[in-house]
Amino acid sequence: MEGLNTTIANPATTVKNPEDYSVLNKTTAVVNDTENPVKITIILPTNAYFMAGIRDFTMTIVQNMTEFSEQWAYRFQSVVDELTNNAIEFGSASGKDIKISFVSKKGKYIEVYVEDSGTGSVKKTAAEMQAFVEKQRHIDPTKITSIRGRGLSQIVSNWTDSLEFRDNEQGGLTVHVVKYLERGEQF
Amino acid sequence: MAQINITFQDVNEAGKNLKLVTFNGQLDETNVDNEAQQIYRVIEEMTEPNLLFDFAGLEYMNSKSIGYVTDWYTKVMTKNGKIVIARPRANILDILKVVGITQIVNIYDNLDTAKAAFTAQATAAKK
Repeated sequence: MEGLNTTIANPATTVKNPEDYSVLNKTTAVVNDTENPVKITIILPTNAYFMAGIRDFTMTIVQNMTEFSEQWAYRFQSVVDELTNNAIEFGSASGKDIKISFVSKKGKYIEVYVEDSGTGSVKKTAAEMQAFVEKQRHIDPTKITSIRGRGLSQIVSNWTDSLEFRDNEQGGLTVHVVKYLERGEQF
Repeated sequence: MAQINITFQDVNEAGKNLKLVTFNGQLDETNVDNEAQQIYRVIEEMTEPNLLFDFAGLEYMNSKSIGYVTDWYTKVMTKNGKIVIARPRANILDILKVVGITQIVNIYDNLDTAKAAFTAQATAAKK
């Protein structure tokens, strides 16, 4: 059986209220595939307005499609929030899209891809981002005095098993994180 | 868009004036920059800013929100004040731990104990 692949396209820009085209309550797919990974992709406009909904969606996915504990559901909610915020703030310009893909194999792992279009305010290559995170993650967090700088280097780095950056075909970045469900990880 | 309600209440704890700051809702990218200004104003207005953050109703905070907490902490310390956090939910305490905030701000699971921390020698055990 093929894994679920739900892609929800960016809605027409003539819709006035962003909630009118929120994808979050429109997925009607039934997840009954235990063999193959399940994949769900959400495409949203570059607008932080949607973040609360994305967090709710992440929580639902982790709680219902993986065997991670509630604590890890909250943690992954933060991971996705931080990655998506970065894409919105730096990676894609207003009017462009952000693509978030969840891939999960129940009882095994969850991975998330967040893709921006490279049209945002800060243009960085995957190599530059990888180097930035490597440098930042070794800093004592109590020594960070700025308001920014904890998302990738502290939250995402600490709460994922794998964090990698790729230059994508659009000219932007794709951030890929994986968390494996390991024995003894339940809290 | 995330909703947050922040309220302020003057409290006198054993002769010490505190500001009880109660958070209800979610702090994220959509609201934290605006909401943070309320805290900055209180810090500026108080001679010795002693702030007790009641996080019992705080459902979510992102990394920038935590960044603001550290910035408020720095400003409060320069005025010989203090910040104490009370009653964070498990997910909030978890994220505060991962970014190291629990190493610099005392956190209590009880409001009365948190209030008492302003008059004690700040040696109470952290949650």
